[in-house]
Amino acid sequence: MTEPHVHTDSFLETIACPFTRSCLDIALKGSYDFLDGYVVPHACDNIVNLYNIWTYNIKHAYAHFVNVPHTQSKASLEFFEAELRTFKTSLERFSGHEITTEKLIQSIQLHNEQRALVQQLYHLRKHDPPLLSGSEITDVMRAIMSIPVTEANELLKILIEEVPARHDGPQKKPARLMLSGTGNEDTSFIKIVEESGANIVIDDLCFGSRPYWYEVDIKDNPLASIARSYLDKINCPRTYRESPGNHQADLENRFGYLYKFAKDFNINGVILYITRYCDTHAFDAPDIKEYLQGKGLPVFEIEGDYPLGSTAGLKTRIQAFLEMVS
Amino acid sequence: MEAPNEKTAADKLKEIMQKAIFEGPQKTTAEKSTETAKSVRRMIKGLAQKSHEASERGDPIAYLFVASFYDDILRAMDITTVGTENYAGLCAAKLDAERFLAKAEAEGYARHLCTYATCGLGFDAMRHELQGMPPNAPDGGMESPTVMLGTGMMICDPRYKWYQAAQRYTNVPMHVLGLLNPTLHYTHIDIEEMKDYYIKYVIEELQGLVDFLEHQLGRKMDWDRLSEVVNLSERTIKLWYDTYQLRKAIPAPMPTEDALNTMVPGFFNMGTQETYDFYRELYDEIKYRVDNKIGVIPDEKYRLLWGLSLPPWYGLVLFNYFETLGAVFPIEVVYHPYTPLEIPDSITNPLERMAWRFYNSLTNWYDKARKNTGNPWVEWFLDLINEYKIDGVVFHQAMTCRTIHCGQLHQMNVLREHSDIPMLLLEGDIIDVRNYNEVATHNKIDAFIEVVDTYKKNKQS
Repeated sequence: MTEPHVHTDSFLETIACPFTRSCLDIALKGSYDFLDGYVVPHACDNIVNLYNIWTYNIKHAYAHFVNVPHTQSKASLEFFEAELRTFKTSLERFSGHEITTEKLIQSIQLHNEQRALVQQLYHLRKHDPPLLSGSEITDVMRAIMSIPVTEANELLKILIEEVPARHDGPQKKPARLMLSGTGNEDTSFIKIVEESGANIVIDDLCFGSRPYWYEVDIKDNPLASIARSYLDKINCPRTYRESPGNHQADLENRFGYLYKFAKDFNINGVILYITRYCDTHAFDAPDIKEYLQGKGLPVFEIEGDYPLGSTAGLKTRIQAFLEMVS
Repeated sequence: MEAPNEKTAADKLKEIMQKAIFEGPQKTTAEKSTETAKSVRRMIKGLAQKSHEASERGDPIAYLFVASFYDDILRAMDITTVGTENYAGLCAAKLDAERFLAKAEAEGYARHLCTYATCGLGFDAMRHELQGMPPNAPDGGMESPTVMLGTGMMICDPRYKWYQAAQRYTNVPMHVLGLLNPTLHYTHIDIEEMKDYYIKYVIEELQGLVDFLEHQLGRKMDWDRLSEVVNLSERTIKLWYDTYQLRKAIPAPMPTEDALNTMVPGFFNMGTQETYDFYRELYDEIKYRVDNKIGVIPDEKYRLLWGLSLPPWYGLVLFNYFETLGAVFPIEVVYHPYTPLEIPDSITNPLERMAWRFYNSLTNWYDKARKNTGNPWVEWFLDLINEYKIDGVVFHQAMTCRTIHCGQLHQMNVLREHSDIPMLLLEGDIIDVRNYNEVATHNKIDAFIEVVDTYKKNKQS
C-alpha cells in the first residue's frame, strides 16, 4: 500500500520503519476492520513494537504473537517447534477446529507446490529479454500472498502457461539487474529502474523470492519441519547464521545464494534497496557490497522511504549506475 | 560522614554556569550528588585497565552487551569483559565519539543505525586499519576481543547484527544466545502454558554459551564456582533493589544522573564481590542522606520520573539544568535493578536460576498490566509515580535507537488514559551529539516546568 500516513504519527514514532508505520496507518484508518484476527511473528524490533501498539489500539477477536528465535541452534529449533505448537493450539481454540497432522501435511504440500510454481515463474525471467518484468512479478507476488493458497496456485499455473506466449513482454535492455533488499511491495521504484534502461530479472526481497526459494521437507513431525525450514532455509538478515570461522567464509555462508542467483539469471549489476530504518538489512549492507563487488558485480545501494516519495534525484542516480553497468 | 554544605538553587546554577564558562563546551557530565556515584569513574578506569592487562598476558577477552543476563558465566570462567555500549557512552561523554561515528559512516554503515553500534564499529575499523589503538582513545581504548557474545532477544536487533558486522574487523569467533520472553497479549493462550519451554530454552542457550566458551578458550566451567557467582549476583540484585527503594524519600537523596553511573557495576560487572561492596557502600550513603534529610538540591520543588529512555551520554549535564529550575529526578525506569525474584529452593542448577531471573525480568508486570492498563511499562510508571511522589514524566527519544524509543508515544498515550500527570518528550541521541539541540531542549524544559508547577498547585489545592 502506498497511501500517505495519516494517523500513525500519534501512535508510532517517525524513527520506526516506514513500512511498519504504513501497516499501522492502514489499520487505524479502519481498512482492516473486516479481519477476525491478527498474527505477528517476531521478525525484528519494529514488528515487535508494532504488535504491542496494534493489539492495544485495534481490537480483533483473535491475536497471537509467534516468537521466532534469532539463531539456528538445536535449542532454537526445539523452541520454535514448541512455539508453533502453541500457535496451533491457540488457532484450534479460536476456530473450534482441530488441526490434525494430516491437515498440516496437506497444507505444507500446497505451500510447497506454490513455492515450486513461483520458482517456475521466476525462471521465465532467465530469458533475454525476460518474459516478465520486475514490476509485473511484484504485482503477482503481492496478489498470491493475499489470497488463499489453492486459488493462488491455480492462477499461477495459468500464468506460467500464458506468459511464454505473450507478445507484449519487456524489451531487451542493456542491463540485467538483481534487486536485493527489504520488505517493499511498492512497484514505483522498480518501474523507475525499468524505465531507465534495465530489466530487473531476479530479486531477493521479502515480498519476492526470499520466502519462496525453499521447500519444507515433509516428515513425521510437520511442525519440526516448518521450524527447521524457516530458520535454516530462508536467508533473512534477522536470523543469525553462525560464522564458519573467518570473514570470507562468513560472507560466503550468508550471501553465497546471491551469487548463485547472479550466475543463474545472468545479471550484470545489483541494486541494494533498503527501506530507511530497517536495521537488520542496513547492518548487512557493507558486507553484501564487499561480497558481491568481490565477485565482480557492481552494486548500487539506495536507502528509500515508504511510500517512495520524491523520485527526481533517484532517477539521476539510477541512470548514472546504469551507464556504469551497461 | 559529614553533610555537604547547603546550597541554594541559585548558588548551584551559578556554579554550573561558571564551570560551563571556564571548562567550555567540554563539560558534558552531570554534577553528582553522592560520593559513591563519583567513584564509578574510577571503577570504569579499573575495568579498562584490567582489559589492557589481560591483553598483555594473552588472556581471553569477550565483547559483551549491557544487561546480558549471562555475565555470571563469564565471571565463573575468569573471562575479562569489555562492555562495548559502555565504551561508546564514555566516548560520547568525552565528546570523542564523532571520529568513530564518521569512520563507521565512511565504511558504509547508515547514520541512523544505533550509535552505540556505529561508534563501536568505527572504533574497531580504526583499530583494524591502524593495527593498534586509535590515538588518544578514551581509557586506552577497547582491546581486541578473543570472542564476541551477542544475544538474540525480544528487542534490540543490534545485539546480534553489530557483532556480526564487527567480524569484518575483528575476525574472531562470535556466539549468539537466544534469550526470548513471551509478550503480553494473546487472546487464546495463557502465558503460564508457555513458561516451561521458555525457561527450558534459556537454560539450553546458556549451556550453549558454556560449551562455546569451553571449546573456543580451552577452559572448563567450574560449576560450583558458577553457583557461588549466581548466589552472589542474586544477593547483589536484592541489595541494589533495596538501595533504590530508599530513594523514595523526600527530599530525593540520589538523582537519576547518579543512577546512570551507579548502574555500571550492576550491568557491566555483576557477579563480583567488588560490585556487591559497591552497592553496600551506596546503600549506607543513601541511608545516611535520607536519615539526615540531605537532598539533591536544597529547595526541591518538583519530582520527575525519567521514563523508558536511554540518556544523551554527551549531555548528562542536562539533569543539572532541571535542578536549576527546582526539579529533581528521584527515580528512573531505565537501568533500574531487576525486581528480586523468589526462586524456589528446589531449583539449584545455576543455569536454571539464571533462566528464572531472565524470564521474570519482563513478565513480572504482566498480570497487573492485564488487569489494569494493558501495558507493563505504564503499569510500572504508575507504581513509581505513586511511590516516589512524582509530579511529571520526562522521556528522551534517542533518534538512532528503535529498540527502546519506538513505543514511547504509545506509553505516553496509555499513561494519559490513566493519569493527568504532565509529560515531556525530549529529542536527541545516545551518542551522536549532532542529533541534539541544547537550546531547543532547554526551551522545552522551561515550558514543561511551568506546566508541572501549575499541575502541582492544582493538585495541592
